[in-house]
Amino acid sequence: EYEEKTGRAHRPLSPKQNVRKNLDFEPLSTTALILEDRPANLPAKPAEEAQKHRQQYEEMVVQAKKRELKEAQKRKKQLEERCKLEDSIGNAVLTWNNEILPNWETMCCSRKVRELWWQGIPPSVRGKVWSLAIGNELNITHELYDICLARAKEKWRSLSTGGAEVECEDAGFSAADREASLELIKLDISRTFPSLCIFQQGGPYHDTLHSILGAYTCYRPDVGYVQGMSFIAAVLILNLDTADAFIAFSNLLNKPCQMAFFRVDHGLMLTYFAAFEVFFEENLPKLFAHFKKNNLTPDIYLIDWIFTLYSKSLPLDLACRVWDVFCRDGEEFLFRTALGILKLFEDILTKMDFIHIAQFLTKLPEDLPSEEFFTSIAAIQMQSRNKKWAQVVLAALQKDNREMEKGSPSLKR
Amino acid sequence: MQKHNQKEHLYKLLVIGDLGVGKTSIIKRYVHQNFSPHYRATIGVDFALKVLNWDAETVVRLQLWDIAGQERFGNMTRVYYREAMGAFIVFDVTRPATFEAVTKWKEDLDSKLVLPNGKPVPTVLLANKCDQGIDVLMNNGIKMDQFCKENGFVGWFETSAKENININEASRCLVKHIIASESDPVQSIEPDIIKPHLNSSKIVSCSACFKS
Repeated sequence: EYEEKTGRAHRPLSPKQNVRKNLDFEPLSTTALILEDRPANLPAKPAEEAQKHRQQYEEMVVQAKKRELKEAQKRKKQLEERCKLEDSIGNAVLTWNNEILPNWETMCCSRKVRELWWQGIPPSVRGKVWSLAIGNELNITHELYDICLARAKEKWRSLSTGGAEVECEDAGFSAADREASLELIKLDISRTFPSLCIFQQGGPYHDTLHSILGAYTCYRPDVGYVQGMSFIAAVLILNLDTADAFIAFSNLLNKPCQMAFFRVDHGLMLTYFAAFEVFFEENLPKLFAHFKKNNLTPDIYLIDWIFTLYSKSLPLDLACRVWDVFCRDGEEFLFRTALGILKLFEDILTKMDFIHIAQFLTKLPEDLPSEEFFTSIAAIQMQSRNKKWAQVVLAALQKDNREMEKGSPSLKR
Repeated sequence: MQKHNQKEHLYKLLVIGDLGVGKTSIIKRYVHQNFSPHYRATIGVDFALKVLNWDAETVVRLQLWDIAGQERFGNMTRVYYREAMGAFIVFDVTRPATFEAVTKWKEDLDSKLVLPNGKPVPTVLLANKCDQGIDVLMNNGIKMDQFCKENGFVGWFETSAKENININEASRCLVKHIIASESDPVQSIEPDIIKPHLNSSKIVSCSACFKS
């Protein structure tokens, strides 16, 4: 149909042509300008005027057709770009499936793979790559997941019937604590990606999310359920089968940075914030000074970002791409991403006061441009005076320990 | 009154209480005049700003700190309390356990934060979700008045973020007490402080605006 239309557009219009006859083919936007025959009770239009009107009308038609042609070309270009993108994703899927995944150990650190990884992992292999990259240091099996889940279900039953105390190894964690934890899970599940409508009561993944979080509180009663976990588990569920999601979840949370945050180890969290500020000052000195002046500390915005691994604050597709590289580079990428966000919005942020910065960073724009966003992250240097992230964290830790030994009151909490 | 005489107050207010009692919903209703049953859990802290034309001479800017409700975060969120001038403690009338936690929140707040004059910050208690009809606690207003007196709340309100009930009123009550505590002559060093002109006709069921 499109060909037909554009073909016609090139045919010269005869001024003698009966306009009405042609109306079916005219662009819609001109139908309001139909040149009806004049009502009989009005005097005839002077020929000159009629001619002028006809001319004007035809010009409008030509313009409208030009616009339509332009639109059609734009659509065609978009389609081509989408096809190209789909092709490249298709190729990437092949590369991941046929070359990288079967030779994971030898290939995962090669430059070629790292570059492909940065482009974003195709959704169909994302879960597999995440699982491999996160690893299973804890040696959790599907059977262990089943055991933990069974135990969680037993607890739910006994709590809902108000029955006798369940004998558990995790003595020392009172029944009230456990009940609170299970109650919190219930409340939070419905508030996890509510707009997706899949984790809410009656949604297809409600029970899965419930099971993973419940099983985790049985697997790690010393950690229990902490807000933010539901978002992490949800993202994993979207990419992995239940038991594999549980394995990835437990191992992910077991990483030093995540453990520090989910155990709400305030001292350690401050150490991470201090390390973050070293790189903040190094990369964005002007903004850093502005934040200092306005008393804008990292705990204001980093807590939400780190606890949920950006899954709450970024659009889901972008968050998954951040997770991709987080799986590749580890915790330092979480802080690099934070600096990427600050860099991307540096100009507006420097013009804002405390409350507006705080509002902006705790509710980022929904239409974050993905390419600019990753370009901005790529521009962040994670080297400070020849020291890498891990070394800066270590130095901050040692400094804390020394102060602790000296009995610095600021760290005695 | 001349425009240049207009006085601007900036107050930092905390909104605290157990998880899921509706802190975020109350703030969204108050600041954006809307409600959604689909808010996401707050992790850490969220922010909002509300500007009130208090009276002809006074503009009040409220910086609202919406603090995550999980008890575990207590140690971490303590830093957020710094320099707050007032607080709302929220509970959910349909969940008695959230009311039981109110005294814990109040004690926590008072232990971490006092006004420059050594007094506790003015705090208003909000009994939220009062539209739900499962109002187990509110049948006895006198008891609630008593509870507020004993626990040092300057007032309490039955609120509904969903139906927009009493949220503006609760805020006016809190701001009124903050202004009053600021103009306390004992601590005031500003000679030109403006006395609040309150129109008492607007006060709805602020049953406990007693000053300590």
